[in-house]
Amino acid sequence: METVAELLKRLRPNLSVGQYGKIVTDTSEFMEIGYGDVIRVGGLHYLVLRDETERSFGIEDPKYWVKRCVLLETGDRRILKLVFHESFPLRLGKLTVKCYRSPEKESRVLELVRGDWRFMQGITARDDHANPVRVLEVIRGKRIDEFVAGLEVDHRTYFFEIFPGLFEKFMGACEAIAFLHEHGEKHGDIRRDHLRVESGTERFRWIDFDYTYDFYENPFGLDLFGLGSILTFLVGMDIYHLGELERLGFSDVISNLTSEDFSLLYPNRVVNLKKIFPYIPDGLNKILLHFSQGAELGYETVAELLRDMESARAQIMKGGNLS
Amino acid sequence: MNFKKILIAVDASENSMRAVRYVGEIVGSSPGFEVTLLHVAVSPDRDLFPDEQVWKAKKQEMQANMELFFRKSRTALIEFGVPSQNIHERYIQSGGGSLSHQILGVQESDGFGTIVIGRRGVSKEEEFLFGSVSNKIVHYAKGCTVWVVE
Repeated sequence: METVAELLKRLRPNLSVGQYGKIVTDTSEFMEIGYGDVIRVGGLHYLVLRDETERSFGIEDPKYWVKRCVLLETGDRRILKLVFHESFPLRLGKLTVKCYRSPEKESRVLELVRGDWRFMQGITARDDHANPVRVLEVIRGKRIDEFVAGLEVDHRTYFFEIFPGLFEKFMGACEAIAFLHEHGEKHGDIRRDHLRVESGTERFRWIDFDYTYDFYENPFGLDLFGLGSILTFLVGMDIYHLGELERLGFSDVISNLTSEDFSLLYPNRVVNLKKIFPYIPDGLNKILLHFSQGAELGYETVAELLRDMESARAQIMKGGNLS
Repeated sequence: MNFKKILIAVDASENSMRAVRYVGEIVGSSPGFEVTLLHVAVSPDRDLFPDEQVWKAKKQEMQANMELFFRKSRTALIEFGVPSQNIHERYIQSGGGSLSHQILGVQESDGFGTIVIGRRGVSKEEEFLFGSVSNKIVHYAKGCTVWVVE
């Protein structure tokens, strides 16, 4: 069998590599696959650069089953997700949800969304042990919250000049999730860091589809809550916790808040943002209130959420309550 | 609708057994009642299991639990005086989607005048995220009486 050094010399002679590892055709033991190794799947060769990491509470959390790679045949960057089954408790404010990581589910979703730019793109290749290795294209861009945080404007300017465009794009992102649900699939992990704003195009694109959970009566409830949380963030340009309102200059708002103004799952997070920013249109604020402790009824489907967003859109485009 | 034609929607839980006992106490040996225990079986999601064998074993375990629950329920109803020939069991495989709508589908197609369901009592947050079969049945039921046993 060809060595890594020979392979590199043949396919990427100009690529400088600090160490030559081994060629891997069975990825079951992903902890043993590291820098300098080459994963061969689907007839192609992927040089491993490093393990992917996820920033969580300021700490870099390595994801040993996710490898940043170079596809030696073309020189393109790829992310390889190897098979890792786990279940774990996901804390959502007051509730704990049992989540599962399912490679097969992610493979199905990738197949379903092939060619649809609203989602990350990738294919599944089976290794010698029949493990479904997901080969993903890299989306260059920022997480939605980093993108918004990088806008150096005050909220009023943001809300009237930038938010309308983001709202339109977010409606498209919600339609993308509705598409998954119509096909019986859930995203599974809708959070701000799983919605990317692509560099250059500024398109909103969903990533990471391998989470699942076993809710049967309301299988898409968690996805809906995730969409509501991102929308709340986009409207507010940030998340507003009760304890931070004074520091942020909203001391006068605090006495007007009741428990009904806070998030259904996160009791310190304000979702009735109109109390902080009175120019937020009623129709838009009412959507946010569906995710509040005061909500009488929640959304059952993304289609219901989208209907309300569609109704709110005209007012947003006209410039909120100031017009 | 014939309100004496009772459909008890059950899983293998304590809440369901409370619903069964409640029906037993109300109906007892009164004439004209037909009691059907309905279980809409949801196969565990294959995505949650690393291999086929463990998944199949889980499915078999769930089915065995339900069969045991049916036997216990029948015994309980008979003890309350419900004639054995008026007790029926139905085990149907979920066709996907909401359980409440599937239960209501059986109620409507077979003309049950009363639906009975146990409830453990969920918080607002839980209902938002996970849904509530009993609340949805109360919300969407038409042309029948709904008993929710807590």
